[in-house]
Amino acid sequence: MKYMLLFIKNEETSADDAALDDAAQRAHYAAVDRWFAEIGREGKLRGGEELQHSNSTTTVRFQDGRPLVTDGPFMESKETVAGFVTIDVADLDDAIAIAKRWPRQDQAVEIRPVVNHEDMPNHPAG
Amino acid sequence: MLNDPTGEAMNAVFRAEVGLICGSLVRITGDFDLAEDLVQDAVVVALQRWPLDGVPERPAAWLLQTARRRAIDRLRRDSTYRAKLQLLTDGWAPDVRSDPDDRLRLIFTCCHPALARDAQVALTLRAVMGMTTSQIAHAFLVSEATMAQRIVRAKRKIVNAQIPYRVPGADELPDRLAEVLASLYIVFNEGYLGSGPDMSTSRDLCADAIWLCGLLSRMLPDEPEVLALLALMRLHESRRTTRFDARGALVLLRDQDRSRWDHAAIAEAGTLLEQARRLGRPGSYWLQAAIAACHAEAPTFDETDWPQILALYGALVRLSPGPVVRLNRAIALEHVAGPVPAMEELDALRAELDGYHLYWATRAELLRRFGRLDEAADADRRAIELTDNPSERALLEARLEPTVIRAISANSN
Repeated sequence: MKYMLLFIKNEETSADDAALDDAAQRAHYAAVDRWFAEIGREGKLRGGEELQHSNSTTTVRFQDGRPLVTDGPFMESKETVAGFVTIDVADLDDAIAIAKRWPRQDQAVEIRPVVNHEDMPNHPAG
Repeated sequence: MLNDPTGEAMNAVFRAEVGLICGSLVRITGDFDLAEDLVQDAVVVALQRWPLDGVPERPAAWLLQTARRRAIDRLRRDSTYRAKLQLLTDGWAPDVRSDPDDRLRLIFTCCHPALARDAQVALTLRAVMGMTTSQIAHAFLVSEATMAQRIVRAKRKIVNAQIPYRVPGADELPDRLAEVLASLYIVFNEGYLGSGPDMSTSRDLCADAIWLCGLLSRMLPDEPEVLALLALMRLHESRRTTRFDARGALVLLRDQDRSRWDHAAIAEAGTLLEQARRLGRPGSYWLQAAIAACHAEAPTFDETDWPQILALYGALVRLSPGPVVRLNRAIALEHVAGPVPAMEELDALRAELDGYHLYWATRAELLRRFGRLDEAADADRRAIELTDNPSERALLEARLEPTVIRAISANSN
């Protein structure tokens, strides 16, 4: 079963990594790297990325059938997605256990089950 | 056929059998949603048939056979479930007692922390206890449509998010067990506080909660908080019938007829507490039960061991701090140290408990001790505004009469 873990941070209250000194930045990245290495060694990681600050976001939406490009995220919120990974594990308990090990305690981890297109009769993969 | 197809006889059968059947069908099909639906259908059919035909001699076999027929009906209609349903229909000779852990797995799945608490409670009552959606909706005072939707959503999440069907490992067990116990205590309290003097509801939630907690204590005999919660519920239950007078008005702890309390149950609860104490450090349910035991074991209200109760509340505040626990501690403090320190504590809690009727009822009682009768009456009026419970309202209104000065405390019921 695949799940996407979305790392949610409050951009007003959580630490701005760029503003931290070098040693603190290195410590943050070392902890996150260890987490990635462990999940990778367990064969559960299916990729993921860290995202830039939401102020660099652009949104394309569709209005009356025409694409409309605007500055900023689709949902205006203090909480934004700071990064994501996809994992492949047995069940929700496994996904919860991995999320509990995420070292950035200033962030929340949202666990979203991924749609399995092989279960969908009308999808080419089904 | 048994000759007594009354509600209570049927409920006893559902309690004993439904969780076992549902648990094994979930294991066989690997589909919680489907298996639970089939068993629920069988319960609904039983509720129609048994009052007419009597409870069958082998009710488990009857329920299974009915669930199986439902599976065959579904198989004809619903091709997507074909593989799973075939497991139930092809030469199926189920032995539901083959895996004693099935029911324990079922309980932990229903009370998974990824489900909202109200959904945990509803699912447990349906899948483990065999209550119908309509009975659960009635007990929790929501519409049947709302309750049905809550259950459907929760079951869909179990399947879609792949919540596993298993007993959690040792490292997770304390947290996961806390979820189960919290849900069970909600069931009990709904039965205890929701029931008025007329206890003729179709299902006795207190009895259901005590039954399930007893079952858990046999399945997990080394868990002290399970024993402690069982003791706590039995202690409340032991004086349940004395909480109302003949006219249905609430009777306070100090005025209850202690000779009518169930002293055998109180003694058994004491034994459970001793057993729990030997198994580990006192947890939150143990402390609450020990407080209830102090009240239950006092021969008269005046002989209540308030210093001991105060010490237990102190431990409870340290373990699970919260304004309601502190309010209860303040009441014990008044009996030990007098109204002045108790009032100081109440003043400190005012902002947090402004919307809680028992805060105002307690405050009214203290104000009367100081002779501040006008302020006491205002506090009682505020308490009345904040409660919907008719028995509590009746009591509060009665003491606004100038000749009736009685006490209500958060321990009183």
